[in-house]
Amino acid sequence: MKYPIVCSVFLCGAFFASGAGVTIPVEPYQLNNGLRVILSPDHAVPVVSVYLIYNVGARSEEKGRTGFAHLFEHMMFEGSANAPKGTHFGEVESNGGTLNGSTHPDFTDYYDVLPSNKLATALWLESDRMRSLSINEENLKNQKEAVKQERRLSFDNQPYQTAIVDVWPTLIFGNWQSSHSLIGSFEDLNSSSVADVSRFFKTFYAPNNAALAIVGDFETPAAKKLIEGYFGDIPSQPAPKRPDLTEPAGFHARTEVYKDAMARVPGVVVGYMGPKRRSPDYYALNMIDAILTAGESSRIRLDLVKGKQSVIQYEANLNWPFGSALDYRDPEPYAIFILHNPNFTGKQIVDQVQEEIARLENDPLSANELERVKTQIRASTIAGLQASLSRARQLAQYAITDGDPSLINSELDRILAVTPAQIQAAAKKYLTPARRAVLEIQPAPGPQRGASQKEGR
Amino acid sequence: MLKKSCAIVVSALALAAQTIDRSKPPETPPIPSYKLPPVYETRLPNGLGVLLVEDGRFPLVTARLNMQAGSKFDPRDLPGLAEGVAAVLTEGTQTRTARQISEETDALGGSLGASAGEDSMTISGGALAENLARLLVLMSDVARNATFPKEEVDLYKQNRLQSLMADRSQPGFLADEKMAEVVYGSSPYAHIAPTPEAIQKLDSQTLAGFRDTHLAPNNGTLILIGKLPARAEVLKLIAGQFGSWAQKPVAAPPKVDPPAPKRQIVLVDRPGSVQADIHVGRLAPTALTPEYFPLTVATTALGGGTNSRMFKNIREKEGFAYDAHSSYDAHRDAADFEAVTQVRNEVIEPAMKAVLAEMEGMAGAPMPAGELRNVKNFISGIFLLGLETQTGLANELTSMKARGLPNDYLETYTAKVRAVEAEQVQAAAKKYITPGESAVVVVGDASKIGDALRKLGTVTVTKAQ
Repeated sequence: MKYPIVCSVFLCGAFFASGAGVTIPVEPYQLNNGLRVILSPDHAVPVVSVYLIYNVGARSEEKGRTGFAHLFEHMMFEGSANAPKGTHFGEVESNGGTLNGSTHPDFTDYYDVLPSNKLATALWLESDRMRSLSINEENLKNQKEAVKQERRLSFDNQPYQTAIVDVWPTLIFGNWQSSHSLIGSFEDLNSSSVADVSRFFKTFYAPNNAALAIVGDFETPAAKKLIEGYFGDIPSQPAPKRPDLTEPAGFHARTEVYKDAMARVPGVVVGYMGPKRRSPDYYALNMIDAILTAGESSRIRLDLVKGKQSVIQYEANLNWPFGSALDYRDPEPYAIFILHNPNFTGKQIVDQVQEEIARLENDPLSANELERVKTQIRASTIAGLQASLSRARQLAQYAITDGDPSLINSELDRILAVTPAQIQAAAKKYLTPARRAVLEIQPAPGPQRGASQKEGR
Repeated sequence: MLKKSCAIVVSALALAAQTIDRSKPPETPPIPSYKLPPVYETRLPNGLGVLLVEDGRFPLVTARLNMQAGSKFDPRDLPGLAEGVAAVLTEGTQTRTARQISEETDALGGSLGASAGEDSMTISGGALAENLARLLVLMSDVARNATFPKEEVDLYKQNRLQSLMADRSQPGFLADEKMAEVVYGSSPYAHIAPTPEAIQKLDSQTLAGFRDTHLAPNNGTLILIGKLPARAEVLKLIAGQFGSWAQKPVAAPPKVDPPAPKRQIVLVDRPGSVQADIHVGRLAPTALTPEYFPLTVATTALGGGTNSRMFKNIREKEGFAYDAHSSYDAHRDAADFEAVTQVRNEVIEPAMKAVLAEMEGMAGAPMPAGELRNVKNFISGIFLLGLETQTGLANELTSMKARGLPNDYLETYTAKVRAVEAEQVQAAAKKYITPGESAVVVVGDASKIGDALRKLGTVTVTKAQ
């Protein structure tokens, strides 16, 4: 199961980039207007990936405007001063490329992948919309419909998804900035105005709030000249305020049961509020995630799918369901989503997961298992470096989140350095019932009332 | 000194900025030429085909063992047998328990799994390059020596019954299932999943029987891509693991004889649906026919990507849908084409009309030269982008072998796309993008959309269960 939030299928699973046998060239610099640029040439295949990340996501939304960051992302495809509506799609695809955008809690990204002779075309399109987006009533009305239709398609008409996008965040987070629905309510979408769009654009879509990564078949001097030419004179704006994500004192993660008439098989989300990004415990949790769920010999698979025969399918991540460890920004949970055998109750499944965690706390990892998990992490990291788009995404994420794109070549080593004792300590500190939220999704008989109620929300 | 050189740099860049004309798309150099990495082909004495592609950019290897043993070989009363064989193939052999297989695989930094498509079954593996030899040991072991242990078969059955229910809660699955049934009639491509009854009937013996009948070296191809050892050494490794696999006569594929396409409207009733999933489709020619590339261009123009007619009109202009696309799925012996969109219940009538009108439009007039050029570029570009990763190339080569396409298929793909002419596109559209001969399958709440659909003709209503 994947969670295609917004216009894109976000590729999860690429852990971290590595120094293990591969070094990715990284050339970072900054334009005078504050735009961060990262270049990484690779001439193997005549393809170029242009990836732009803006440092704003759903957690910057205001009350009464749930879903706005995503609605705005749609507006970015509605044309700009020199590239009217349809031009962006047309120029990229008719030159043999692909494009997309996606909205996440803390960022919004856009990419164009093209045959490498079309680098200038991608830069022209991306800079034109950063400079001069066409914001008008007609485009907004049309995209409100597209987004509402997306909500019906990907959430309201699907099992599990409505519970995950609307209910799950309210169980793990106490701060509204984090706990509100990323896809938003129809009511809030309907009441968004052209003025809201203009203000959001001016505040957040400025060069100094963005990073641009280009990976693939290009010559660095020529690329730099094009970037300066297209982006160099877009004015910067006052640095936007980041949302205050502090969790309220006294908030306790909760358990809730959601009756889902679209679902036929019961599901459970179990999640724990995680550590600070790039802290020692964060790397330990990456390792724990792999021990529990990566590969065919993971503990959830061997013990629960095979042994107890209670779990049918599962997926997990730091930053589940809207991202991965790569784009994890605290506060975020580590969460596991399980579809389970109906002969077990949701509570039994949660207890079994907690037993697995108790094992992590009590028994140090054997040398064999440690070695196996490290090998898996190393391999999946290398695999995640193959596509130019995946490299561009990592470079831009590290640039905008950590201020250091060269982490693509060193983060793997930090994970591989985690010791069995650190794993035990991190499990004890973070994966405790006190920090745990649980969402049980139970199949409900009869016509779907939950989904049709959404129309009126 | 330092200040001065900075100033020069800044003014040079400012000059560059002035020379850029933003009012129109930039002039760009011609599309770079690209030659596919060479594919080395050979065959073992037992008949196993071997394809090797050297790609040393990353220290990884990707492997596929593809055999003509897909779901079209399922007996009529056991839909899902090939799928079941694939699922349990990696769950135990004469010398390895399921646990050993999974632990050994993960220790290679790898993956190992099998899956069944319509035509073929593929055992897929991957590993860090240094572990190629051990990966081949595992692949050979599961291909040849799987034992289908009873407890693993029972677990598979138990979980597949549940996941089948989960599949059936997805409207897209229900539509695909019905469309396959309608387009392929009683032929072997008509089922896309097992039935609960067929799952219940599976046992170790049945699974082993299918394996014994269909998995044979003379029925398959081994594809290896990545950072490989020297040629002689790779071939020695392959021969060491697969050379003693005995050749045997394999069953001829079943005849695929789908019914003639005709207009029929089927409504799969899914009470509570907040939208209608519309699929309009019919039988189409296979990738071995001269019509394949013209129809690929036609269907891509109709609903491939964001620059297509369906996306522009049904989503961007009308705002009926989030997704509006077409697909052309060519199996080895038959193919199907469909136009797909999901719309809110209230607009089912105009949306349905819009889909049918876009289909009509493809046959109605020759494609304008600009659109034809754009679509051909799009198809060629996407093809190129797919070759960036080992998995991408492995999947292309596997699909080529699975469908019995000639070995120059990938090499000549772009040239064949480029050679398509507007008249050929229109001719293919006239023959195959024909609303009048297409099945309309809609998944949705019959009480909300039934009346609107009846305006198109007689509607057969079936239950989602």
